[in-house]
Amino acid sequence: MSPGRGGWRELLSRYGIVLALGALVLVLALLSPSFLTPSNWLNVLRQIAVNALLAFGMTVVILGAGIDLSVGSILAFTGAVAAGLSVAGWPPALAILVALVLGALIGLFNGVFVAYARIAPFIVTLAGLTIFRGATLVYTNGMPITGLPDTFNVIGNAVWLGIPLPVWITLAFLALTHFLLRYTALGRAIYAVGGNEEAARLSGISVTRIKLFQYAYSGLACALGALVLNGRLNSAQPTAGVGFELDAIAAVVVGGTSLFGGRGTVMGTFLGALIIGVLNNGMNLLNVSAFYQQIVKGGVILGALLIDRLFATRRD
Amino acid sequence: MALLEMRGIKKHFGGVEALKGVDFVLEAGEIQALVGENGAGKSTLMKVLSGVFQPDGGQMLLAGNPLRPRSVAEAQQAGIVMVYQELNLVSDLSVAENLFLGRLPPLMGYTRLNQEAQALLGQMGLEFPPEASVRQLSTGEQQLVAVARAFVQRAKVMVFDEPTATLSANEVEQLFRLIRRLRSEGVGVAYISHRLEEIFLLADRVTVLRDGERVSMAPLSELTPERVVNLMVGREVRAYQRQPHGSEGELGRFQVEAAGLAPLGLTLNKGEIVGLAGVIGSGRSEVLRAMFGLVGSASWRGTRLSGPLTALRQGIFYIPADRKTQGLVLELSARENVTLSVLSRLQWLGVMKAAQEQQLVKGWFRRLSVRPSDPERPARTFSGGNQQKLVLAKGLATTPQVLLMEEPSRGVDVVTRYELYALLDELARGGLSLLVSSSDTEELSGLCDRVLVFRGGRVVVQLEAPLDREEVVAHVTGARRVA
Repeated sequence: MSPGRGGWRELLSRYGIVLALGALVLVLALLSPSFLTPSNWLNVLRQIAVNALLAFGMTVVILGAGIDLSVGSILAFTGAVAAGLSVAGWPPALAILVALVLGALIGLFNGVFVAYARIAPFIVTLAGLTIFRGATLVYTNGMPITGLPDTFNVIGNAVWLGIPLPVWITLAFLALTHFLLRYTALGRAIYAVGGNEEAARLSGISVTRIKLFQYAYSGLACALGALVLNGRLNSAQPTAGVGFELDAIAAVVVGGTSLFGGRGTVMGTFLGALIIGVLNNGMNLLNVSAFYQQIVKGGVILGALLIDRLFATRRD
Repeated sequence: MALLEMRGIKKHFGGVEALKGVDFVLEAGEIQALVGENGAGKSTLMKVLSGVFQPDGGQMLLAGNPLRPRSVAEAQQAGIVMVYQELNLVSDLSVAENLFLGRLPPLMGYTRLNQEAQALLGQMGLEFPPEASVRQLSTGEQQLVAVARAFVQRAKVMVFDEPTATLSANEVEQLFRLIRRLRSEGVGVAYISHRLEEIFLLADRVTVLRDGERVSMAPLSELTPERVVNLMVGREVRAYQRQPHGSEGELGRFQVEAAGLAPLGLTLNKGEIVGLAGVIGSGRSEVLRAMFGLVGSASWRGTRLSGPLTALRQGIFYIPADRKTQGLVLELSARENVTLSVLSRLQWLGVMKAAQEQQLVKGWFRRLSVRPSDPERPARTFSGGNQQKLVLAKGLATTPQVLLMEEPSRGVDVVTRYELYALLDELARGGLSLLVSSSDTEELSGLCDRVLVFRGGRVVVQLEAPLDREEVVAHVTGARRVA
């Protein structure tokens, strides 16, 4: 094991994603003159805000060797409740608070089945996906909720220091999640549970409590995403968030987090969401047909996993 | 011409020579026992035969033809079948399907399949229904299915590695009947076991391995259990001998109950090292797991140990046998592993106190001379011995009163092993009480103040220092019975 060889491998595996993003930006800048303008960048950041928020929550779950397929439905349900309560005359601040708490509680509900009943997270959250989509349809009667108070418009569209509020929210939640994972005992325990559940248990870590937290955190992230989406659309749609779980998982995986848990960072996830966003944005600027866009996006995800696989086999 | 000839087989792992040119010859219609202490090379030799490992030297002949299996599948094709402790059965398929697995014709009615399986099982005196799924059977019954499959596979050579560890007495009898039947049909049987009583019931010849070499091959009639133990242990100088020191009074009492275990009360003295000896399945590892609240129900000084958290609060720490799957989170750094059990002490409002953590880890690295000395490296990059030190540091960081260790030196190189023993001695002198469960009798006799020997889920004898290794081995293998 010469240090040189391990060195560039380690480097590539750690910064490969930054290089990939750089290469992508370079190509798109050469192909489209409007790509590198500040307004286009803010546009990209605003577009990825919802997906990034969901993906940050998803990162916490996946690091702990779980998965949350219900994020799109939790987003729709909490968004509908926030909108519904506001329209019914509740103070918007209270409606927002209720939505955030509700998101965390729904996550907790998933977590109970995963942690105590030991049902596979894939199954639990797949059930959650349909349950909370159904709950949304029941609550909204299948109709969009419109006429939201101005507060939502502010959340979705206000600009502060030249940067849109959804971007601020994304960056703040990124910072919070990064701090949680990197500097707290809880974050350490999440990595331990994801890396080796048995070893974590034998070390006296309460694995069930960690799992409950992971899913509650993901639920909270969904509610945040819902508020931003409500603001952007100035309404709550019963079909909001359909398929969002796949984009969130893609961002996590492209960002270098192992689906087996224990390895990865939320910063990587942010870059992953950025890569997907830049890719979408660039292909739009270049007038690539939406049909081809899907193929390219899928190819990028496969490529990211392939690279991860190559490094993982080296490790063994 | 012998059925199987293995000549000068060599195999090394890293710097360790596991097999130093071993010969093994098996005749058709023979049961040959393969005995030796842990690490003597029995299992390695049989894994070379069955295609799990590739030998570094030597050659093999099966019925006169060169044999060099590159995989288990290739070995099976050649007629060599190994029955593992973890059975290679498909637990959701039926007994009949498992029996004929890999040999099923493309179209075969279940009625006929079950009839054929029934006939086969009947011939062998096995009484479970062929349509039952393997999952529903006991471990012992599953093992019998795996053996029965050898008849279908028309095995020429069958290898058993400690097959009776998990069997009931009745199942052992059935297994022996099957093995004798294999012999009468001309199959060559290699039988690895630590239990001498079984070997004297079953074997025609006995091969003894020690430190990767064959020290004896003789017909059973020329051997006595005492002679076999002598051959296993050899005449080497005892490697490590701790000077037991006087006890400092009683620390507390464990009460342990768990499935397959006779209720056990154990009073532990301050600063003593107590060894738990016994073959796999004798119950010694269940005792430790129960004492950490993982199985059964146990109490310490009258407090019930309902789980690892309670045990940790009572000052008990458990170091599992397998560092890679149970002891460490391999992807995390050494530092993060060492402090995993003391996270609550190293935080303020949930935030890790980084400086204090680093200081703590640095201290343990120095105290245990962990190499390399960089705690930021991932745990997976450390050698076996140093990984064990990391797990030990994690445990000691909790300042325990009782340390439960399972196979403390498994996979640890000789030099680090002595360091480890010296360290355990130092800890005991400092007042820590240790319970060491090990299959290495040299380790137990060299390290412990007293050794409890387990057989069939109960303590059959307690041996006090000064300990004689041959006596420990004799009790573990059942060569000597206590009246």
